[in-house]
Amino acid sequence: MNVIDQRIHQVLDGELAAEAVPAELRRAVAQLAAAADLLAAPPAGAVTSLESRVMAELRRPAPSRARRVMRWLVTPHAIILRVRPAWSVAFAAVVAAFTLFTAGQEGPEPAEHEGIAQFVGRFPEAQSVHAVGTFNDWRAGSIALEDQDHDGVWRATVLLPTGTYEYMFVVDGERWVPDHLAERLVADDFGRENSIVIVRPDRR
Amino acid sequence: MDVRGAPPDAEVVALVLAGDTEAFGFVIRRYEAGLLRFAARMLGSRDAAADAVAESFVRAYRHLASCREPARLRTWLYRIVTNRCKSHLARRSVADVSLDDAPPVADPADTEADLERADQLVLVERALADLSPDKREAFVLKHVEGLSYEEMAAVTGERIPTLKMRVHRAREELLKVLEDHA
Repeated sequence: MNVIDQRIHQVLDGELAAEAVPAELRRAVAQLAAAADLLAAPPAGAVTSLESRVMAELRRPAPSRARRVMRWLVTPHAIILRVRPAWSVAFAAVVAAFTLFTAGQEGPEPAEHEGIAQFVGRFPEAQSVHAVGTFNDWRAGSIALEDQDHDGVWRATVLLPTGTYEYMFVVDGERWVPDHLAERLVADDFGRENSIVIVRPDRR
Repeated sequence: MDVRGAPPDAEVVALVLAGDTEAFGFVIRRYEAGLLRFAARMLGSRDAAADAVAESFVRAYRHLASCREPARLRTWLYRIVTNRCKSHLARRSVADVSLDDAPPVADPADTEADLERADQLVLVERALADLSPDKREAFVLKHVEGLSYEEMAAVTGERIPTLKMRVHRAREELLKVLEDHA
């Protein structure tokens, strides 16, 4: 440990006047003060304000805890999938079979590093549902789900580069809802849950 | 960012708690520069600092009602950012705490003094990054952000003698590096 003269600390802590210490100690004080000044100086280059980024997040409606619990309770799929793994497997098999069948017949053809992602959500009262996430920089509008038979179940099948993505559904352009049928859910940095989809290469 | 004429912190907090979300912009404009500087010094990366501070502002907004002393909002914000930085550092090894921002590119108009200053800044930043997170935090709060030991205690939850000891040790380590390169 390189212990320095206590008077240097006293000067830097404002407990002793700089003039009260010998010149060689004043030099050490000046070195440390200059280092602190360098660190305190504004960084070179433009600094982008965080205001628009933060305010956009604050304006994004955050569902209350009670509302999230209520939504959880009224979504039977989520409860069934979590407490009965056998049903989860069966449901996943049906979805996979449906996906393969439709993709094989008339769905999009994935390239080498692409895979098929299918988004399914039950929103009986919704007028529109979009999938937003890290695959489209959280911008609504690019992946619209459809409910062609008006049974309240909205679907979209899209090609995405293979990888792992976080996403949510945006219902009627304003309600952000995680997909509880997703492979898994993760807490985001803003205290909410995002769904995870893993897009794997198509092996047909 | 011009925040002249902005209401005092306690008033801004009351406005936000009354439902005026936009008033939180005053808080951001008033404190983001200092918080970004602090986080950048703690994390060694401007991008990571921007993420940490943005997340901290969102957390602060969501938990504003728990700010018991709105007049001391600054200290409260530093505490949130400090915790955020600690979480960030805990997720990566200390060895990663280095400068991942590119060093400043020399401008033809730079004088010799500018270049010397840039070199010195790189040296100080590296020496700071080599400190343990506790010492780095104490040194930056004290000497870069200009907080008193009482304010530092409020931010970190540590006792003043502990903080003084950390600042002293940090000064000693930094001074050794500076003298070795003098």
